[in-house]
Amino acid sequence: MDFKFSKEEEEILQQVRDFIQRESTPELLAETHALERIYGGKLGREFIKKFAANGWLTPNWPLEYGGLNSSEMLTYMIKDEMTYAGIPHAFVGAHYAGATIMRYASEELKQEFLVPIARGEIEFCLGYSEPSAGSDLLALEMRAEDQGDCYLINGQKTFNTHAHVADYHWLAVRTNPDVPKHKGISMMIVDLETPGITIRPMTTIADSRTNEVYYDNVKVPKDRLVGEPNMGFLYLMEALDYERMFPYGHYRRLFENIVAYAKETEVDGRPLSKDPIIRQQLAQLATEMETAKLLYYQLAHILDIGKIPNYQSSMEKTFVSELSQKIAEVGMEILGQYGQLTKGSKWAPLAGEVEYNYRWTVVETIYGGSSEIQRNIIAQRGLGLPRQ
Amino acid sequence: MDYDFNVEQKMLKESARKFFSKEADSGYVREMALDEKGYSKKVWKKMAELGWTGMLIPEKYGGAEMSFLDMAVLIFEMGYACFPGPFFSTAVTSTIALLEGGDKNQKADLLPKINAGKHLISLAWLEKEGNFTASEITAKAESHGDTFVVSGTKLFVPDAQVADTLICALRTDDSPQTITGGISLFLIDTKSDGLTVETLKTIKSDKLCQVSLDQVVVPKKNLLGEVNQGWKILENVLLKAAVGKCAEMVGGGQKVLEMVVDYAKNRHQFGVPIGSFQAIQHHCANILTYVDTSTVLTYQAAWCISEGGAYAKEASMAKALTSDYCRKLQALGHQVMGGVGFIEEFDLQLYLRQAKAAELAFGNATFHRELVARQLDL
Repeated sequence: MDFKFSKEEEEILQQVRDFIQRESTPELLAETHALERIYGGKLGREFIKKFAANGWLTPNWPLEYGGLNSSEMLTYMIKDEMTYAGIPHAFVGAHYAGATIMRYASEELKQEFLVPIARGEIEFCLGYSEPSAGSDLLALEMRAEDQGDCYLINGQKTFNTHAHVADYHWLAVRTNPDVPKHKGISMMIVDLETPGITIRPMTTIADSRTNEVYYDNVKVPKDRLVGEPNMGFLYLMEALDYERMFPYGHYRRLFENIVAYAKETEVDGRPLSKDPIIRQQLAQLATEMETAKLLYYQLAHILDIGKIPNYQSSMEKTFVSELSQKIAEVGMEILGQYGQLTKGSKWAPLAGEVEYNYRWTVVETIYGGSSEIQRNIIAQRGLGLPRQ
Repeated sequence: MDYDFNVEQKMLKESARKFFSKEADSGYVREMALDEKGYSKKVWKKMAELGWTGMLIPEKYGGAEMSFLDMAVLIFEMGYACFPGPFFSTAVTSTIALLEGGDKNQKADLLPKINAGKHLISLAWLEKEGNFTASEITAKAESHGDTFVVSGTKLFVPDAQVADTLICALRTDDSPQTITGGISLFLIDTKSDGLTVETLKTIKSDKLCQVSLDQVVVPKKNLLGEVNQGWKILENVLLKAAVGKCAEMVGGGQKVLEMVVDYAKNRHQFGVPIGSFQAIQHHCANILTYVDTSTVLTYQAAWCISEGGAYAKEASMAKALTSDYCRKLQALGHQVMGGVGFIEEFDLQLYLRQAKAAELAFGNATFHRELVARQLDL
């Protein structure tokens, strides 16, 4: 066992920190915040292209596809640092679609997409959920008919968060309705500029935007189907395993800010941090943050020794997202009346960050699969309990 | 980072698992709960032969000189087996205290005997308040020529009924400004005149004792560490032993997880295994999460101790989290197992007892969260 990073990893991480410190601007951070930290905004694209030129967007990818051929550990470290810094850090191309393309797509698709993804030149958007297919993804109905020279796609997607800023749709469609549900799904890459696609905003409790996406007789070239036809569900489940690796840096920063506030703010003539109950709460959060860190890097370790995490990624996602809610709750309690003040409001402490995260962390426990679904996965995959 | 055991640790884990399932099954656990001594000399001798009683003892005193992380691997297996007896008090707590504070003669005298399995020793810290604090320590040692004369009552002393020696934390200076600065540790022979031991009845039926000291005469050479400097030793012992108790708790937690999941797969109600119900699955998923998180935090703390650098924050975090999580997972385990879980002849209830005892040992979650708060400069 060894619970520290290597010297080499620390050095690269320091370069990443220095770069972010030097290159990020208040305008970039404001745009990133408004976009819920997803990739695709104007300033974000400018910044990330420079950042990605170092190979830091996809460090674990092979050199030929724009990576550094590095360990997963370093990849996870950089990802966490990006979330801590508040620069764009939710990437569909670099973190989810790219890995599946690399594993299963044709050589042509690899050549076309992987390097641009690694350089931050293009971004994808997830196209999984539908109005009748949420936790039960297998129920998805969006239909892709083989027309000989192309696929004709009709249907509706929902909760497609990056759709309004992304270039391509990472789309799950039904290519064969006459077989068991999991044997009739395919993955496709669709240019979001294609005629017949309509994107309609849905606003979240955290003021962020997600989207409904309608397909009305959309024609997609046949070579945009990823891997084998009707094997999409396997690819999708695997991509979901990657998505469930939640960096915790955003909450590390939030927690540090709450701690600083508790130390600086006096109530009844003493700092809040001297109150025994607040001390207990903050110490508990610090302990759970340490646990989150260990669960997070354990995923990298599992990948680095050549295994694929299954229940561990669900456990990490659940632990971190539920912890994020506890941090927001304790923050709200410590701020008292001031906790309800929103960003920009007179007297709002910590720039309304706690109030914002109190709303945002509701979203976190649902995106990528709700906590209940994660617990099913932990029980069934991790412990071998039977499905009903 | 590397989350895996090395080859030696894997072998140790495997041989310990085999040893305890052969030498100390749950029948043994129940037997020792009723036994006055609380351990079997035969099993103890075998453990000494395996080098376990001297695992932390340096080679020059005959020990195996293994790391604290190795020790955590072994203690995990003891927790898994719910193994009772004076191992923790002798080979962990007291050995650490001797290594931290003992002089050359004391080490040369005691460590080889402990290693050989021929000497039992325990730390007497707590008194009336039952807190692992300095103000707790009021039993007095007064200097008289070449000796100290000791009086007071120590409580919750593990295994004093069989110990040959007690390491007693005593007050040598009671001026109010030196609460932590007036404590000294003494090696006291349990056969000394004026020393009496009474075993307390506890939830685990482990042997926690009251030790009464009435004008016990202790030679000056039995002072462990410098006079009035005992607190520093106790602080280190507290944190290391707390991590040891974490290893015991997570080992027990792992066993509970296995028992509960096995039951959920095989117990049928409404015509299906109860493990197919989502409510049961979520209990089991939460138990696994409690076990995995406590385990990794525990091994990180044990690793920090082994590395010889700072470990206070990691140790207290581990004890805070593990104490709470292992209590919670016992409760969930009982929910899954229903009625049979609370029947004496099933093993689940043994682990609830063990987890509670370990939670209380060397500071519970609330106690250690306060230490974490101090580490965070709150």
